[in-house]
Amino acid sequence: MRNRREILAAAAVGIATPSLLRRAWAQQDAIEIGSLVSLSGTFANIGEQVDIGSKIAIDHYKTAAGRPLRYVQLDDQGDPGRAVRLTQDAIRDRGIRFFMNCTNSAIALAVAKEVASSGGVYINQAGADEMTGTLCNKNTFRWPVATYSAVNTTVRPFMKQFPDAKKWYTITGQYVFGDSLLKNLKDVLGELGGQHVGNSYHSLSDREYSGFITAAIAAQPDVLCICNFGSQTTDVLRQAVSFGMKRNTKIVVVWSTGLDQFQSLGPDICEGVYFGANYWHGVDAPGNRLLTGVIKDKLKVTPSYLLTAGWACTQATVEALNKAGSAEVPAVIKAFETLSYEGPTGLEKVRAEDHQVLKDYYLLLGKPKAKMLDKDDYVDVISAQKAFLPPDKTGCKL
Amino acid sequence: MSAQVLIFGALNGVGIGMIYFILSVGLTMIFGLMQFVNFAHGAFYMVSAYAAFAIAQWTGSVLPALLISPLLAAAFALASERLLLQRTYSLPHEAQILITFALAILAQESVTMIFGTLGKNVPVPEIFSGVVIFGGFVYPSYRLFVVGIAVAVALAMWLAIERTRFGAMVRAAAENAEMMGLLGFDSRKVFMAAFAFGGALAGLAGALAAPLRGVEPLMGREALAIAFVVVILGGLGSFSGALLAALLIGITQSLMSMIWPGGAHLMIYGVMTMILAFRPTGLMGRS
Amino acid sequence: MTTEGLRFPNGTTVVIAVFLIALPCILPSLTLASEILVLATGALSCTLLLGSVGLLSFGQGLYFGLGAYVSAILIRDFEMSALAATIAASLAGCLLAAAAGLLIVRRQGVYFVMLTLAFAQMGFFLALAFPRLTGGENGFGNVPRTAIAFGQFALSNPLLLYVFLAILSFAAFALVQRIVASPFGSVLNSIRYNESRSEALGYDARRFKLAAVTMAGGIAALAGAMNTLMLNFVPLSAIDVETSERLLIASLIGGVGSPLGALIGASVLSAMSDFLSPIWPRWSMVVALLLIVTVLFLRDGLLGLGGVLRRQGKEMPNG
Repeated sequence: MRNRREILAAAAVGIATPSLLRRAWAQQDAIEIGSLVSLSGTFANIGEQVDIGSKIAIDHYKTAAGRPLRYVQLDDQGDPGRAVRLTQDAIRDRGIRFFMNCTNSAIALAVAKEVASSGGVYINQAGADEMTGTLCNKNTFRWPVATYSAVNTTVRPFMKQFPDAKKWYTITGQYVFGDSLLKNLKDVLGELGGQHVGNSYHSLSDREYSGFITAAIAAQPDVLCICNFGSQTTDVLRQAVSFGMKRNTKIVVVWSTGLDQFQSLGPDICEGVYFGANYWHGVDAPGNRLLTGVIKDKLKVTPSYLLTAGWACTQATVEALNKAGSAEVPAVIKAFETLSYEGPTGLEKVRAEDHQVLKDYYLLLGKPKAKMLDKDDYVDVISAQKAFLPPDKTGCKL
Repeated sequence: MSAQVLIFGALNGVGIGMIYFILSVGLTMIFGLMQFVNFAHGAFYMVSAYAAFAIAQWTGSVLPALLISPLLAAAFALASERLLLQRTYSLPHEAQILITFALAILAQESVTMIFGTLGKNVPVPEIFSGVVIFGGFVYPSYRLFVVGIAVAVALAMWLAIERTRFGAMVRAAAENAEMMGLLGFDSRKVFMAAFAFGGALAGLAGALAAPLRGVEPLMGREALAIAFVVVILGGLGSFSGALLAALLIGITQSLMSMIWPGGAHLMIYGVMTMILAFRPTGLMGRS
Repeated sequence: MTTEGLRFPNGTTVVIAVFLIALPCILPSLTLASEILVLATGALSCTLLLGSVGLLSFGQGLYFGLGAYVSAILIRDFEMSALAATIAASLAGCLLAAAAGLLIVRRQGVYFVMLTLAFAQMGFFLALAFPRLTGGENGFGNVPRTAIAFGQFALSNPLLLYVFLAILSFAAFALVQRIVASPFGSVLNSIRYNESRSEALGYDARRFKLAAVTMAGGIAALAGAMNTLMLNFVPLSAIDVETSERLLIASLIGGVGSPLGALIGASVLSAMSDFLSPIWPRWSMVVALLLIVTVLFLRDGLLGLGGVLRRQGKEMPNG
């Protein structure tokens, strides 16, 4: 009997220890930054990269506002519910005030709400326009551009270069993000005299796109435009190319995830395709030189978009803390709102009205394998522009 | 929408359907022979696709993988059967579902551990990298090659089922599982053969699909979902039913993507529900 | 479920109550305790089906998701109190389960499992197809932290939230115990053992199964509503097939022989994913292995562990 009781006690201690230890580690002077990344589950492919980028940034900057930084990894397993739960715990039990990262928009929107209601600061990589639109809040910032920006900075320069490419066909993921891309595209086409000859919606769980592609080919468009993100975009493009669409149609992928995506497509498919991207490692800017240098030095790889997104959110938080000179939340938010710094895409500025980071978005063109200078040199940068909805049009009221 | 577009859509649907057929036929065969519901079917498919990726990396072409990967998948299936699944034959179907489901998770996580979470590209073999054009209809040569293999597999299987002793048993077992014992077959060997063959078929589908879709750890899950829809629609255990259902789904999916793409999945699952509820033997099964 | 101890309330009732009270004291985090409650209540619906009538459902996530969305809509857009929304959501779960059940109970074995899976898939695609209602892939957000009832007891207090969830959860567990202990429960049990004999005795097995499916749907929806109260938010994942799988796994690992199994399974699964995931991202392998061990060797789940060990001990005199 005694034995069993001892075992039970030991088990109870075993369960309780992690939190005790965690508290012991949390030294008084360190600023802890919670990082929401999915390391297991469906979104692990995204979370892993973001996690690495953020960790390296923390290692690089080491301190902010004169205090050491500590990276607190919160594995949400791709589940927004779990993300909310971990955030609540981090705020309540550990007093963490600063948060960053997300692996999908649902997580970002849910965590943003939680952080706002308990008075913290959160910067993330959500794709959803609501983040700096109708669901924006005082405590949350977003690094990647909105769908409006992505469409305007890719389609406009493209149409300028090919004024004769009038007929556009779209293949769109039928959900909120894909629809926002499509809506913006229609607006731009309408304004510039392009013609939208047809759209195919596909669902979040489609993997076979040949039907949509056959429909697209039948419409004989000048341009095939893919309005989606992630692995579905990869699949649509791969199948479109296999159906020979590159022969007489130009392909524009409005929202790509850059290097990762190019690697999983291979150079043959990427050649001649136009990609929109939030980041490209070949861009010459002081912030990018720093980032690529550190990543090459520590990981011996070229930074991808996801890795950079992790870095960027960390960097922005560090810059805001430094500017505020303290870790007081109101001061940091204030510093954030007028922040401007040399980021991975050049000079990046935060807009106070909707908490959007104003940064370049790129139009990239896949180059032939023979012309690639190294194994990661998949594209040429065609244009780098900023285009943002005026603050009163975003739907955000702060 | 012109008639020509619809015809192209239907033709393309036949292509999709044939790919779905190879994917599903192993599942329906295992069920027909042994009344065994194999949730690990998608895992065989995925493991083989990853093997194809590795072989393509190593040799520079995915072609040798079309032979090697199915063998590896068969070995994997056989090993699973001997080490794990045979213990469930005496248990209810539910236990088999759960064990194979767990096996699928193990396979998925192991592959993630070895190859990472990011999707990988498997280049289309050089000789099939172009497109074929007939009339205004453009079709990738590689897909045509895949459809060709699928047709060959279907024919070979049809011959095997109609003309061989093993085929007689498959037919007998699909009618009545106890017949197998009465006909004097050693069920132990039959089950091993069924898993090896079913695994090889799933593996062939995986290796063929790798250049079409790339490889990623979750691909087994989707493949399983498609295979189940096909198998249930065709009637669990029915070979010709699987062929018919695969073609039907392929054509529906292809045409629906022109008419009402959002509804394609809803419709497919709706039909599946109705079939299960009102005609559980599927399209071709006898009730 | 075993026919022994078919009384209610009994020792198990007390153990469940003590468990619910002890959870937040043992665990390092209150939210983890709340998550366990939600998962346990959802798993309970699988336990009820599998343990009492022998029905394996791969689709309880459908009702879980429905409960989550219904309660969220009622609280946010109709300003209902937490209690009222929870009750309404559970009723909605019963209704949907009764409707789907009419079709589902026509089938047995593999076909039953496949039907539950097909319904769950339809639910997911419906939720995705109507983003105006569900928020689509972004989830249904901005659900306010409301009060339990009549504007009293605001759920913004985390401890109060836990207490409320624990009471709801306990009510579900007590209900299941009560059902199992009732004459109705013994008919279910006899159907599980031998359906044709029960039919021969004059029981319409389908009607009894339908009743069980309906109740299980209500309980899963209750869990979904609890999830909404906990998160103030409904992710699309609340209605996906993986949720169905999680509920089933929790129920199986714990053991379907007693409602207590759902609680144990949920605790082990949640605690494990909490403690293992920071150490090893591939932690679901452990879950899979546990599932295999449960199905092959521990037919009564972790609940049956004691019995197995005791038997082993008897076989080995020195053990």
